[in-house]
Amino acid sequence: MSCHDPKRNKSNEKGENVINIALAGNPNVGKSVIFNQLTGLSQTIGNWPGKTVERMEGYLEFLGYHFNLVDLPGIYSLSTFTLEEIVSREYIVSEEVDLIINVIDATNLERNLFLTFQLLELKIPIILAFNQMDILRKRNRDLDIIKIKELFKCPVVPVVAVHGVGVHELLEEAILLIKNGYVCNLPPEVTSYGREIENILNLLNKELTSISNFKEKSPYPARFLAIKLLENDEEILKFVESNLGLSLESMKIEQYRKELEDLHGEDINTIISSEIYNNIFHITEKILINEPNEMRRKNLADVIDHLTTHSIWGYVILILVLLGIYIFTFTIGDFLGGLIDEIYLVWTSQVYLRFPADNLLVQILWNGGMGGFMGAISGVLVYVIPFFMTIEILQDSGYLPRAAFMMDKIMHALGVHGKTVITMVLGFGCNVPACAGCRIMETQREKKISIALTSLIPCAAVMTVVMGLVGRYVGLEWVLVLFIINFGAIYIVGRILNKTMPGECTELIMEMHAYRAPNYKVILKQTWIRSKEFIFRALPIIIILGVVLEVLFLFNILEPVNFILSPITSFWLGLPVVTGIFLIYGILRKELTLVLLALFAENIGLTITQLLTPFQMITFSLVTMLYIPCFATIIIIARETSWKYAIQISLIEIGLALLIGGIVNFSFMLLTIF
Amino acid sequence: MHRTWHKRVPIQSHKNLVPLLKCLTECDKGQELEVVNVEAGYHAKRRLAQLGLFPGTKIIKKQSAPWNGPVEIIVRGTSLVIGRGLAAKIMVLCKDHCSI
Repeated sequence: MSCHDPKRNKSNEKGENVINIALAGNPNVGKSVIFNQLTGLSQTIGNWPGKTVERMEGYLEFLGYHFNLVDLPGIYSLSTFTLEEIVSREYIVSEEVDLIINVIDATNLERNLFLTFQLLELKIPIILAFNQMDILRKRNRDLDIIKIKELFKCPVVPVVAVHGVGVHELLEEAILLIKNGYVCNLPPEVTSYGREIENILNLLNKELTSISNFKEKSPYPARFLAIKLLENDEEILKFVESNLGLSLESMKIEQYRKELEDLHGEDINTIISSEIYNNIFHITEKILINEPNEMRRKNLADVIDHLTTHSIWGYVILILVLLGIYIFTFTIGDFLGGLIDEIYLVWTSQVYLRFPADNLLVQILWNGGMGGFMGAISGVLVYVIPFFMTIEILQDSGYLPRAAFMMDKIMHALGVHGKTVITMVLGFGCNVPACAGCRIMETQREKKISIALTSLIPCAAVMTVVMGLVGRYVGLEWVLVLFIINFGAIYIVGRILNKTMPGECTELIMEMHAYRAPNYKVILKQTWIRSKEFIFRALPIIIILGVVLEVLFLFNILEPVNFILSPITSFWLGLPVVTGIFLIYGILRKELTLVLLALFAENIGLTITQLLTPFQMITFSLVTMLYIPCFATIIIIARETSWKYAIQISLIEIGLALLIGGIVNFSFMLLTIF
Repeated sequence: MHRTWHKRVPIQSHKNLVPLLKCLTECDKGQELEVVNVEAGYHAKRRLAQLGLFPGTKIIKKQSAPWNGPVEIIVRGTSLVIGRGLAAKIMVLCKDHCSI
């Protein structure tokens, strides 16, 4: 009997056989390492339709087959706790998937098998890949692979993903599985629950399968539906009512659930979970070979773990890491950016040699389009790439959850839990990916607050302005003051949002995996893929805006802007009138405020110190830090939440910058009077 | 079953039980504990159950973050960080000798 009926012998235009594979597993089990080993650079990153969950796809040719791989997000269960789980569940049962490769961390069987058990219930061809076998063996343990095959009745492959061991065996098994057809008689001793639960499941099962054409109507097996109905899974309840046309009342699900809860004295989720964990416990006893004298020595990872969660050193390290991100991103970005700017200048002089300088079209296309493009590369991309790299290193090694652990208490005051620290750390490099990263937050409320806080973090571009102006001409101690004001502003915004937004802050539940040496291949590939995504998504917008601004500039539409803004710039902030237009440009890219200021000063034959007093420099930098998220960030915020919220955040930040900027300006004025 | 038991018995009256039954935040680090009850809301409780933490589970409290921060515990061989507010709702039984 075949339960899942994939359109067998699928083939593409080239006549090759196609196998579609979904990689499923818990977070941090080496799923992406296997994915990288298999697909190389053929990966694309996108979003699941209509959802803000990342979708990683790739393909490869192997033994005459064409494999399409989808790397599902890391999940712990197939319930509906997070968007990731819903996306994964719906995708796995869709027609697109021929088989699942379930990646299991062999060093952590109990937690990992919980998901495996739920995947088995979906009755889709499955291959179990036990990863990190080397580490398990180092601990003097091993897995009885034959026993596992016998118990689970599916192909099992031991894997050491980081060294590529067993990775291609997975594909060989996949071919065999598809060729021979998959027979899924679920081993009852593995997946059965207690007798009273099984009785109810059988009753529900009968009722569900009695519907005519059940198999066509439901992509889920009846037993899976029965379990989820009992578990009170909102999505499945809706599905059964609307798609299968069953009334939940007539199925007496409430009643069954209540019976069980009364019997066990626990709620239904606890009962089901504990039944599964109970089965898992018995299975791990059978499959795990424990050698005697298992010695657990303190290793480097433990020492680093101790230091990074230490009550003093933990915070020192956190600050050092943040500084490290800045310094690394800066040194590389500045160097490459300088090179590219020089190239652009050379090219520009060449262009003007060939074309008349007053040719409007040339000006629009070259200064606007090409200028925007080169500027985006030299001003944004060169910072974004090294930054992505540091972040991948931090993520892969396991530092970020520690930062969240250390900062959870402080973040609670702002209405979010510790995970926001992760996105805020990302924000120091570039707000754009950081705001996109806020999707890791569990609730909409927390996501919104996280985005607002993250968009206020001074990014690498803002740092160029602050360091180039205040750090260079006024003094580093004032940079520190500016930072303190910036974080004060973040605190205020957090407090306000926490008070005004309905709902409550949820508590942190987060797995903290052991430290491990980052895999350089994965890091390089991930960096490239993420940068690629940035290039294709953000650069076109920046170029178009460059053209638009150039047009506005050429037709002198921007001149009146300075005049209109003068009450704010000149009176309220005490800055030269001309800065108004620089601040407008700064929305496009924050560092443009300084770049244009320097150009302007050069044009009229002044130095920056003659143009701005030290006080004005401080106010100007402060306003640049706070006044609005840059354009790319606004777009990301709108895409992650809504345009309404993106505009709200922008308005709040403009208000905040004006308020603080004004206060600073007038206190400076008072200082000079007395 | 644990729930009914600990609701029925006023804790104060059983002096020998007092030091044994605590919430997770009160325990010393390094202690081996058994979960007795999770008094959290529906979603948090379900999440913890899926991660393998429910009445009867044996856990080890590894540490808590400075300044009354979240608690790190070891459940089924993995480290789990739980916000302090939630940790306070997890009632545990100290397995080994209690310090109080």
